[in-house]
Amino acid sequence: MQHKLIQSVGIAWTILFSAFIIWIYATEPRNIKEVTAGAQAAAGAYEIDQARFSAALDLFYREEFRAARDEWNAADPGRRDARTQFYIAYSYYREGWHYLYQDDALSQQGLEAVNRAIELSPDKTLVVEDPGLQMHTAVELKAELERGMERSVGDFNPFKVFRTRK
Amino acid sequence: MTANTRSRNRALVRYILLPMIFLTVALLGGLRIDVETKAFLFYPPPLITLIFSVMVMLLFVRGRAVEIRAWLGSDLPALTNVSHALTLVTLYFATAQAFNTVLPERGLLKALFCFFFAWTLWNNYFSKFDVRSLLLSMAVLFGTAFFLKHMFLASLFAPGGGWAKKIAGFFLEVGTLGTIDSQTFAPATGYISFFTLLLYVAGLVLLTPRPEPEEDARALVRSYRDLPPLEQMAVREAIAGPQPSAALEAREPQKRLDTVEVTGELVTDMPSEETLVTRKPDA
Repeated sequence: MQHKLIQSVGIAWTILFSAFIIWIYATEPRNIKEVTAGAQAAAGAYEIDQARFSAALDLFYREEFRAARDEWNAADPGRRDARTQFYIAYSYYREGWHYLYQDDALSQQGLEAVNRAIELSPDKTLVVEDPGLQMHTAVELKAELERGMERSVGDFNPFKVFRTRK
Repeated sequence: MTANTRSRNRALVRYILLPMIFLTVALLGGLRIDVETKAFLFYPPPLITLIFSVMVMLLFVRGRAVEIRAWLGSDLPALTNVSHALTLVTLYFATAQAFNTVLPERGLLKALFCFFFAWTLWNNYFSKFDVRSLLLSMAVLFGTAFFLKHMFLASLFAPGGGWAKKIAGFFLEVGTLGTIDSQTFAPATGYISFFTLLLYVAGLVLLTPRPEPEEDARALVRSYRDLPPLEQMAVREAIAGPQPSAALEAREPQKRLDTVEVTGELVTDMPSEETLVTRKPDA
């Protein structure tokens, strides 16, 4: 009887631990905070820090993009909130936008963030109703970031200086 | 310690401690720490490590470190079979991740390490092994690979360091036409890898060939049959003990004595105490 109990506990423990390892390798958290946040999200208890999110939004509108991203990262340490990830991607877009070119490194990071936002949103569609933005959906932002990284003859078009930042 | 307590402790080791050790190895085997951001990087086991793990499992079975019929069998209860199968599966993935932790991530070095691992395992497959030698061989194999990757190569390609190291690294890279492309990680990666390998070896030491130990006499007979003929003879002589003294005396070689005929004749004039010995006349 005692052996059967030990066996049953052992089987349950092995399966749980294995599931945890598979989850870790699938989500690839970057630090302990992300592991904790991921576990909270799995349990449905994850929430972002709203105060920090609002502070980051203020910084974003003042074009302090790096500071805004730091605040958003602190508000969403587990990178589990689709809306926050969308704003982070948007900040990369705006910081990397120039009249004649788009910064590739920033666009790449923006693309990673917007992909996370799309993955996190239900049905893979995310709409952010913010009058301060000109792109309201994640797919729109993604397309814009990808366009900025593409190389084409149009890059030499002098009329590009007349385009506007979204 | 009573038999009941001993049996319970064995069950705890087999069903809980061993899977926990092997799964921890599976978790930490692919973990690296980024040198700049100190972020976790997870490397799932490459295909080659899964193949190496199959080779090692075959070695374990061949070297009787794992007696598969004793672990899994139709005469065992279903729950026991499931539990044993899970333990063996965790051993398989732990072995794959133990290889993963000492294998360079890319480039020529990865290919070289893979070649030498495959060579060693293939050679081992044709060697005569007992359990102890097999475990020792595994520990030495992983220890050597750990030293090469996390101590020698890591120090050679570390971002800081003196001129001598930089020059050696430069010539190594130029000499191999840039095919050596070692990825640098934070020093914590070496510590994690060391701990992982230590756990893996501890798990192997705790892993018994059979889930329940055999009775002493049967285990002795089984071990005797595994020995080469010469050692079997030595065991037989040792068990038989020293021979009785009577038997030893009987085996002493007989001394052969030449018989000499002695004759004499009585002389009356001479004193009676003296005896003259003369040669017997030829017939």
